[in-house]
Amino acid sequence: MNIIERIMVEPFEKFYEKLLVFLPNLITSFILLILGILLGIFVKWACNRIFRAMNLDGLSIKLGMSDALSRSGIKDPLSVIVSRVLKWLTIVTFIIVAMQNLSIPTVEHLIDRMFLYLPNIFFAGLILILGYILSNFFGRATLIASVNAGMSSAGLIGKAVRFTVFILACTMALEQLGIGKDTIVIAFAIIFGGVVFAFSLAFGLGAKDIAGDFLRKKMKEPKIKDDDIDYL
Amino acid sequence: MKKVIRTDDIKTYIKSIGNADIIVGIPSYNNASTIGHVVRAVQAGFAKYFPGKKAVLVNSDGGSTDGTMDIVQNAAIDNMQSILLPHKVNPFIKIATPYHGIPGKGSAFRRIFEIADSLCVKACAVVDSDLRSITPEWIELLIKPVMEGEFDYVAPLYQRHKYDGTITNSIVYPLTRALYGKRVRQPIGGDFGFSGRLAKFYLSEDVWETDVARYGIDIWMTTTAIANDFKVCQAYLGAKIHDPKDPGADLSAMLYQVAGSTFDLMDTYSNVWRGINDSQPVPTFGFRYDVGLEPVAVNLERMIDRFYLGVQELGFIWKEILPGSLFDFFRDLTNVSQQDFAIPDTAWVDTIYSFALATHKKTLNREHLLRSLTPLYIGRVASFVMETRDSSALEVEQKIEALCKAFENKKKALLSDWD
Repeated sequence: MNIIERIMVEPFEKFYEKLLVFLPNLITSFILLILGILLGIFVKWACNRIFRAMNLDGLSIKLGMSDALSRSGIKDPLSVIVSRVLKWLTIVTFIIVAMQNLSIPTVEHLIDRMFLYLPNIFFAGLILILGYILSNFFGRATLIASVNAGMSSAGLIGKAVRFTVFILACTMALEQLGIGKDTIVIAFAIIFGGVVFAFSLAFGLGAKDIAGDFLRKKMKEPKIKDDDIDYL
Repeated sequence: MKKVIRTDDIKTYIKSIGNADIIVGIPSYNNASTIGHVVRAVQAGFAKYFPGKKAVLVNSDGGSTDGTMDIVQNAAIDNMQSILLPHKVNPFIKIATPYHGIPGKGSAFRRIFEIADSLCVKACAVVDSDLRSITPEWIELLIKPVMEGEFDYVAPLYQRHKYDGTITNSIVYPLTRALYGKRVRQPIGGDFGFSGRLAKFYLSEDVWETDVARYGIDIWMTTTAIANDFKVCQAYLGAKIHDPKDPGADLSAMLYQVAGSTFDLMDTYSNVWRGINDSQPVPTFGFRYDVGLEPVAVNLERMIDRFYLGVQELGFIWKEILPGSLFDFFRDLTNVSQQDFAIPDTAWVDTIYSFALATHKKTLNREHLLRSLTPLYIGRVASFVMETRDSSALEVEQKIEALCKAFENKKKALLSDWD
């Protein structure tokens, strides 16, 4: 009897006791989750109205952000995007609070670590978004300038600038996340230096005849006559 | 003749002058080779046409390093009798002063307006410092309508080569005329006469940190005068011959600043141009005569190549600005032979109105938007050159007149899309 009690009843009693302690937490967590979802929906609705009243979309058009977003396939206006982000931030916050409320040590430890890491993710995301917008902006500015200068490789130059700026942003974002901190910077430096070195070698050795011919031509040939038009 | 003032205590010097009747301003930047002639022409103009009037010449310099201000200081007609038989010594004052602010013609003009305002002058004029064809008569023609004719603004009228002034002929003149209803033929001519009252008005406007401070100043002065109901006229000055253009001058920057300023003014004065349906000529002074003009070299093939490159690379930007059918037309134009290359008036008017609307509605980043106009503009110039290759000056003027009519006819469509 004693053995059966120790093997069968006691664990069930302990489980029951633990369940009695855990169940209210679980119900509270569930309520918190529902509350978070409802609050998130409200935050989205309220922010949407506030941003529209502030004419955030007009500002984003003015700053060229809408253009950058639409080129990346995001057709929604900035006010909707930011409202949606805030909605999910609210929901995620409530999910975390609800999970902490469960008082499970492993989950608590994980949440603590996640909280400490969260600013890094936020800043890395910000760097990526800014990097993307800036890469499009500078890429387009370079493209227009190159076309206006009559450079036949204008498209390539524009893309190269866009790619370089975005890669730089990615490097910075990865560094912010602490992923291979030094490795990323060193890799970037090696790749960038390598590209320049490869071009130098290609121009100096591989294409030395072409380079020589090109320079000889440039020095001998008369410059293409510019127009004499006085535009103003 | 008094000494040139070039120190920082300009205010003290101006106070010592007191009041003046006339001021002629010359903006400059490294124009040592030509400014001497301009100064002498102004001096002779004062002596010949405004004897007895207290006249001041102001050189507003942008930091020349070639001794431009020294040339201004030393330039003078030593023997006035060689120009005028009965002459008397006029009170002729020269002020050479560096301007501050954004580097550009507009900032130079601002300094001239400030001095004109301080001296309470009745009439002012500004002339370019690289002019080779300026004569004393220019001073008379730019100043007299203000001094005696009660006009507030005198725009220049030049005889120019048919390929010169293409931004004026294809954008600024037709657009300004269609919008504000005054046929000012050279709205960005660069040499203007205006009243002291108008100079004061210009100074009171808050534009000096914008593109107006650069190339935009000319169109801003003309539009401001017309839109604010100042009395406007034009004076025939003959040929405008100046230093060969600066090889470093960037067409794209010029177009950006001039077109940008013109489009911005459309926003500022939208209530003015909404109610105007046609255009009227403005009084014109001066004796018209023909002059021989130097030929202008044009590299058509390169121009058309630039247009093709624009269609190929900037098409994705134009798609957001131009109506679909117009973009298709430009794209199809890349498949025709050079002989058949043509951008008709209607297509060009639609292009300019579309860019004006896109600027107004902030469809894209302003600088990207306006600079992307350059290949289209070059294409239009190429088309115009081909169309007028064998045309006389009169026939070219008739073609420009037809373009102006097209701008006027399509204004209603612009207005309906504006709001």
